[in-house]
Amino acid sequence: MVEKLVKVVNRSGIHTRPAASIVKLASKFKSEIYLIRDKFAINGKSIIGVMTLAAEQGSEIKVRAEGPDEQEAVDEIVKLFESGFGEI
Amino acid sequence: MAPQEVIYGKTDYKLLKEQFVLKGIPSSAGIALGNAIVLQPESLISPSVKIPTEEISNELLKFEKAHTNLVHQFMQSLHKVRSLGSNVIAILETNLLILTDPILYDGIRNKIKDGFSVESAIVSEFDNQRKFFLNASDALLQERANEIDNIKRKLLASLKDQSIDYENCQHSIVVAQTLTTTDIVNFKEAGILAIVTEVGGITSHAAILSRSFDIPAVIGVHDATDIIPNGSELIVDGFAGIVVVKPKEDIREVYLQKIEALEEHKRNLGALAKLPSETLDGKRISLLGNVNFLDDVRSGEINGADGYGLVRSENLVMELKGFPDEETQYKWYREICERAYPKPVTIRVFDLGSDKYVEGLPIKEFNPALGLRGIRFLLSRQDIFKTQLRALLRASMNKNLKIMLPMITSLHEVELSRKILEMCKNELQQEGVLFDNLIPLGVMIETPAAAVISDGLAKVADFFSIGTNDLTQYTLAADRNNELVSDIFDDFHPSVLRLIDFIIKTAHKNGITVSICGELAGHAAATQLLVGMDVDELSVAPSLLLELKNRVRSLTYSEAKLIAEDILNSNDYFEVRKKLEKAIGRHSVAEINEI
Repeated sequence: MVEKLVKVVNRSGIHTRPAASIVKLASKFKSEIYLIRDKFAINGKSIIGVMTLAAEQGSEIKVRAEGPDEQEAVDEIVKLFESGFGEI
Repeated sequence: MAPQEVIYGKTDYKLLKEQFVLKGIPSSAGIALGNAIVLQPESLISPSVKIPTEEISNELLKFEKAHTNLVHQFMQSLHKVRSLGSNVIAILETNLLILTDPILYDGIRNKIKDGFSVESAIVSEFDNQRKFFLNASDALLQERANEIDNIKRKLLASLKDQSIDYENCQHSIVVAQTLTTTDIVNFKEAGILAIVTEVGGITSHAAILSRSFDIPAVIGVHDATDIIPNGSELIVDGFAGIVVVKPKEDIREVYLQKIEALEEHKRNLGALAKLPSETLDGKRISLLGNVNFLDDVRSGEINGADGYGLVRSENLVMELKGFPDEETQYKWYREICERAYPKPVTIRVFDLGSDKYVEGLPIKEFNPALGLRGIRFLLSRQDIFKTQLRALLRASMNKNLKIMLPMITSLHEVELSRKILEMCKNELQQEGVLFDNLIPLGVMIETPAAAVISDGLAKVADFFSIGTNDLTQYTLAADRNNELVSDIFDDFHPSVLRLIDFIIKTAHKNGITVSICGELAGHAAATQLLVGMDVDELSVAPSLLLELKNRVRSLTYSEAKLIAEDILNSNDYFEVRKKLEKAIGRHSVAEINEI
């Protein structure tokens, strides 16, 4: 299991478009992927889950992956968060 | 004229043998006569219908088959809309992600395994997820609840194998509770005549799409699927926003004539697309299209646009609900320029203020119209401005792109913008990127300040474009969205007309061109006046181009000049209107307003 804490840096937070980007990326990996916020874990491959996370700018999210490509999965997803989903 | 009788209250419409009229909101212009295909909304399905254990595996299979079919359908629609631009694709992709969401998918399967019928399982799982969205404090998320509902409905339809038979829709009118973008793409392919829906906003994706497909549509018709019998004859009047069910012979006759006249008119106009835009005595006026979405370029092409005079780049920001990066912008600008090539494209840099909700803009201002908007905002956020200028420069390599600055009130703003533009050019040069080194930088004249100092502005700008909506609002100090002063807001006010005249004269004295891109440019009563005032270009919504060209081609420049001179000498707008009425002939200006 690999985990990393990441901050939502883009101003508008995780709305539909970033949610879609996260899910599309997460679905490329074999590992189980979770986004955890306030002890509330959601499936990173579920757009409904990611959207209802309603993470605004500045909120902290733990990215967790379990599976054969867990390290790569966490790295890539963290990178997507840090890039601000191309909105900065 | 439209039939007046509108029935309210609880009538059992289905029993009515005679004509009745339903009122809705006109959402896409046009008239159609055809038979109704009523898509029944999913009747209430109980979320707790149980099935015997031995049927579970069969029920699971039913679900998987319906699901696979629908995914397939979505993929096909996605394939079909590839050419329609990023906004449509993004909506469909999100729908597809929701449909294939593992939480939903597994949730439904588990429910079935627990012994619930597939319909019950779908309804209860979707409604569970939907609740999350509805309860969200975020208005955007609440909107998503509707999309989830739509997908549920499609899944249930696919299950019943009563998924819409698109092949049989030709020459029919679709009546539905609501339609998704996918539906509309498919219906369009199938050749439907018109659309009637119960819900939907004028600005909803479906409404925008029906307009860009030129399919007449009336939305917001309450209980339409309940009231309109399947197969009954309908007239859909997308101008008036009414639906006539089982029309009487005389009404039918009237509308058939209207349809004939519209088609005749369209045929005649269509022939104009390839003809030059010039007056009877040979004066050329460039007619340009305004662009909100990529599709507008194609629409401009069909309608014979000489170029594109106002690309509202802020639409990209609104669509993405945030500021796009350089690459995203570059791709959009380049796509527009390539589609338009070799015709010129004028892209206005982000014209945003705090009245539009976008992250990164000032939260709320007391008076956004007089606040940090347009160039003021961009100069206060030079990071955003630079990103946009770099993207625009990169898209300019074919040399058919011009940049336009909104909300200018001083020379300083133009000079500063040019300095930033030069900085971007230097950067790109060092990076070895190709761009148009002589890219024209123009100024929108939409404040009285800019109009009055246009002499100075003409020396630092490569062209002018007059935004008549804002120029009118600022000159007359009348908010264009405030109904209480809507009688004061008048773009035919002599003060506005004289400012426009002054701007054009000043520009020509300094050897630069002027275009007009506000509502006035497309106004039927204004064409003669503006041509007489020597405007070089008019930029309007692509759908107005042919009508506009028709007017230009039937007037005489020398006569227009005299009329303009006479009108400019008016002291109040009553005088302007009277003179306009006289000049245009038998039509009153008010009547023309309605065309």
